[in-house]
Amino acid sequence: MTTEAEPAPAGAAGPDDAEVGRRFAAGEEQALAWAYERWAAQVHGMAVRAFGPGPDAEDVTQQVFVSAWTGRAGYRPEQGPLPAWLTGVCRHKIADTWARRDRQRRATEAAVAELNAAPAGGPAPVDSTVADRVLLLGELDRLGQPQRGIIELAFFADLTHTQIAERTGLPLGTVKSHIRRTLERLRDRLEVDGAALHA
Amino acid sequence: MPHCTPEDLGLAALGEPLADDEAAHLADCAACRGEVARLRRVVDALAVPELAAPGPAVAPPPGLWAGIAAATGVAAAPRADVVAASAPAAGPVPDVVPEPLPAPLPAEPAGPMAPVVPLRSRRSRLLLAAAAALVAGLGIGAGAVALATRGDDGVPVAATVLDPLDGSDASGRAEVVERADGTRVLQVELSAGAPTEGYYEAWLLDESVSGLIPLGVVRAGTEEFELPAGLDLGEYPVVDVSVEPLDGDPAHSGVSVARGLLDA
Repeated sequence: MTTEAEPAPAGAAGPDDAEVGRRFAAGEEQALAWAYERWAAQVHGMAVRAFGPGPDAEDVTQQVFVSAWTGRAGYRPEQGPLPAWLTGVCRHKIADTWARRDRQRRATEAAVAELNAAPAGGPAPVDSTVADRVLLLGELDRLGQPQRGIIELAFFADLTHTQIAERTGLPLGTVKSHIRRTLERLRDRLEVDGAALHA
Repeated sequence: MPHCTPEDLGLAALGEPLADDEAAHLADCAACRGEVARLRRVVDALAVPELAAPGPAVAPPPGLWAGIAAATGVAAAPRADVVAASAPAAGPVPDVVPEPLPAPLPAEPAGPMAPVVPLRSRRSRLLLAAAAALVAGLGIGAGAVALATRGDDGVPVAATVLDPLDGSDASGRAEVVERADGTRVLQVELSAGAPTEGYYEAWLLDESVSGLIPLGVVRAGTEEFELPAGLDLGEYPVVDVSVEPLDGDPAHSGVSVARGLLDA
């Protein structure tokens, strides 16, 4: 199901997007170059929105394409367009960067506290939302369709269940029950593993 | 009034308005509100603007592809004009205020980009390893080397192993040492057969392999190069050894035999 595919910009002659996706999955090197021509600006734009323009956004953009290429076995062309998959990879990289910064922040604070021989007030607090995001994005990857497409439209496209039903052609009741079941599944994952993570 | 249906609780967690009687019940029922709060933790974590569907496209800077090529070994390259045309060059101001950085990063140099020197595309084990570390979320540079502090020679501040690039027999290590007077020296230990023609030269590169600082002639064995004062190793972290023909052209030949990423 298409949730977030953008058409290739005009002027990019070559095979259509679906063909680029199939060749990418098959490991054809030219397909990585085409994917970059068509969707690097979209990926970089997301990274700029998260980190502002500069080295961080550029690093995330590089990581997305390197990771997508080395992990191309995880891309199934029949399950959705390549740009939507790249967007998902980009979400992971943004969340990972936040989590890494949070770890660095805590390590720095711990080192400073040690230097100042401050009374141990326990470890610095974990920003649990940062860890929650990494965990939940991983769980989203495990959802089948149409559940995943539905919940992504709710989370990332800010659509109401009525709009999602219109967009997907699924009955209203089906959309509502998928939303409910997926939210409960994600909640369970958080409450079981999130608790262990933050312990 | 019966409790809200699980479906309605899910919609409430997503912030959708409920029918009047459902909403009235929710306002009065601690049990239903508790359910919504548990589900909302999921929504709050994921439904954030930074993770939303792609917004305005921002063309990546020209040097960005080089790092991807180096890490993947892919020889095909995107057409720069097509990439540049894929979005307005000056991206719109993001409407999300980025979080403050834990540590200030070196500012991007203003003004025109350094001319891109086309290096022959080749698989760099080093950048591949660096990318793998990033992918694993380790955030550590490749080829981290245990540093031995040698009192008289100053303090080692960064080091790397030099990995051979495809088909070369060159390898070694490089270390940056800060002397007591504040000057910094790059020591290069190279193990390599003499080049069939020309000579070896040592360079510092930026990670996109578009900015280069020539250091000088290097042979098998150990050479030292004083680094320019004020040089930011964070900006030029890649130690590169190339083969240069004796042709009077000071530019990089594009033929690198060994590389390493300083773990500063």
